[in-house]
Amino acid sequence: MATRILTVEDDERIRTAVKLALEDEGWSVDEAATGEEALGRFAQAPTDVVLIDIMLPGLDGFEVCRSIRRMSDVPIIMVTAREDTHDIVAGLEAGADDYLTKPFAPKELSARIRALLRRVRTTDATHLVFGDLEIVPEENVVRRAGHEVHLTKTEFRLLLELATSPGRVLSREVLLERVWGHGYFADGRLVDVHVRRLRMKVEADPASPRHVMTVRGLGYKLQA
Amino acid sequence: MARRRLRLPSPARLGLRLRITIAFAASTALLAALLAGTTWGLTRENLLNQREAAAIRQANLNSIVMSSLVDADARDEPIREALGNLATPTGARPIVEVRQAGGGWRSIPLLPTVGAAAIPDALRRSVTNGEAARMRVDIDGEPELVVGIPVNDGAAAYYEVVSLTELERTLSSLAVSLVGGSVVTTLVGGTLGYWLSRRTLRPLANVSLAAEAIAGGRLDTRLEGVEDPDLNVLVSSFNHMAQALEDRIDRDGRFASDVSHELRSPLMTLAASVSVLASRRGEMPDDPARAAVDLMEADVNRFQQLVDDLLEISRFDAGVARLSLEEVRLPELVRQAVRQHRGDRPDVPVELDADLAGMVVRADKRRLVRILDNLLGNADAYGGGPARVAIESGGPEVLIAVEDDGPGVPAEERHRIFERFSRGPGAGRLTGGDGVGLGLALVAEHARLHGGRVWVEDRPEGRPGARFVVALPVLPA
Repeated sequence: MATRILTVEDDERIRTAVKLALEDEGWSVDEAATGEEALGRFAQAPTDVVLIDIMLPGLDGFEVCRSIRRMSDVPIIMVTAREDTHDIVAGLEAGADDYLTKPFAPKELSARIRALLRRVRTTDATHLVFGDLEIVPEENVVRRAGHEVHLTKTEFRLLLELATSPGRVLSREVLLERVWGHGYFADGRLVDVHVRRLRMKVEADPASPRHVMTVRGLGYKLQA
Repeated sequence: MARRRLRLPSPARLGLRLRITIAFAASTALLAALLAGTTWGLTRENLLNQREAAAIRQANLNSIVMSSLVDADARDEPIREALGNLATPTGARPIVEVRQAGGGWRSIPLLPTVGAAAIPDALRRSVTNGEAARMRVDIDGEPELVVGIPVNDGAAAYYEVVSLTELERTLSSLAVSLVGGSVVTTLVGGTLGYWLSRRTLRPLANVSLAAEAIAGGRLDTRLEGVEDPDLNVLVSSFNHMAQALEDRIDRDGRFASDVSHELRSPLMTLAASVSVLASRRGEMPDDPARAAVDLMEADVNRFQQLVDDLLEISRFDAGVARLSLEEVRLPELVRQAVRQHRGDRPDVPVELDADLAGMVVRADKRRLVRILDNLLGNADAYGGGPARVAIESGGPEVLIAVEDDGPGVPAEERHRIFERFSRGPGAGRLTGGDGVGLGLALVAEHARLHGGRVWVEDRPEGRPGARFVVALPVLPA
């Protein structure tokens, strides 16, 4: 079955052009003009990736993103008109996996979608343990103190990258490449906000993390 | 638009501070002179009166002593001897005159130097008429007091010449003290005036500091309110002006962001549509159609770049451009930027000083990449492509240099080349996606935002070509 992409965009021309371009790339596309319509469609039909424009009339992009995140861990890409730090960080914190600034090249969007849909890479290890943190790559399961923690696919991939290089520091650039499939010049805030989200879930006290550690000037590492 | 200038009411030949200081000094000088003059006058009068009273008292006593000795027949010697035995205030020289039978007077002075000639005629007339009198005179340039008292009902007269030199000396040293005091007071007054003027004018200094700050881009600068109602008018109108300015610039900034949205939406549609056409390029019936699609695709990209650059520069103009600092391994970033820019073309060597190999700086990665992209693009467009990229240490700065083998930049154009829409030599030709004319202006703005600078110079060692250098301060990582 073709991968279904839900695009949420209020400008009809852009919506139509993006749909044409995405279908040209081989995806099948559902459209929504408003946030409310998007939530309706998402509930009705199975969706593999959601593309949300932040500037929507009524229910805004952030709110749509948060609502979908409550229901599902489907990959979400935010589209912003500005390289505005505030919008981007707010979008990522609302639960988006990646973002694009308008206008973007459809080929770039396709590459991002493919990266988000990649299978989690397989490892030889069947069971990774870091103190009270337990990762089972085969089953996509993470447990903290015996309780299962629910991670999005991107968060899981990030954790797994750190877990398979135990004690080693991974730079933002390396993580951007391995987790998001981005080049060297991608936005490091993507990593920072995802690390923040990850800590909320896997750390007993996210404010003073014991597992996902920041190494100033270098990057991040995972420890027991 | 003609500029309106308000003339400030001021004679303006001397500074306000100097004028306040001078006014203070002059007022204190006047006051001090008045006080000193009065003091000197009163003291002088008082001392003279005391001295005169004492001299008259003494002369009266002495004249009584002498009255038994003087008559028309008395001889000079016993009288002179008696005069020598009289108690006289220091420096008093007595003279006795005795009326002679023919109406003339015989003078018997104690000292031959101070005789009848010392007695002024007017005084002698009073005494001759039977009245005691006194008079101040100058004898040989010395101030003297002469006291005359009739003795034995006008048969004789007793005079004393009292020296006032000592008194005058006292008075003149008092005058010196008073003048000295006045000078000191005047200086103190002037200093006080200077200090006060600084205090008073400090709000004005604050206003000019605040105005400088606003001109320097810190638009949220405001003056603190003050208690003084006169100054508060200035403060509140200044703050009102600053607020109006900030609002206006905010509006301009918002306008840029609105324009951004408005321009980006049709661009988005264009970009997506062109990509659909481009992917069907192979199915196009003929060459003109394919050429048209190629042109469209290239120019949509250029349009996009132009909109991005315009928006970027409008953010600088609106003062809303902010650094997003992170720790960056500079050599790696430069290498990656060069590699990405070159794409399939042969790589360009990046050379760096040995001690910079692991260098980490705090910088805005996106802006650094834009700087390098634009410098490399400029070298492509006007220098026949970059020949060498170098990272060098320059004291507190790190230098990133992009060199090319082109014709170089003539000295007179080196400053202008960083202005907007200025194109290098051979201008007018647009090559590929370059030549929009904002590239180098943006390089300069990005560098400035980092607290750095940019310039162009000749390549070292006499090699032909241009060398563009961006110097960035090394922020502690």
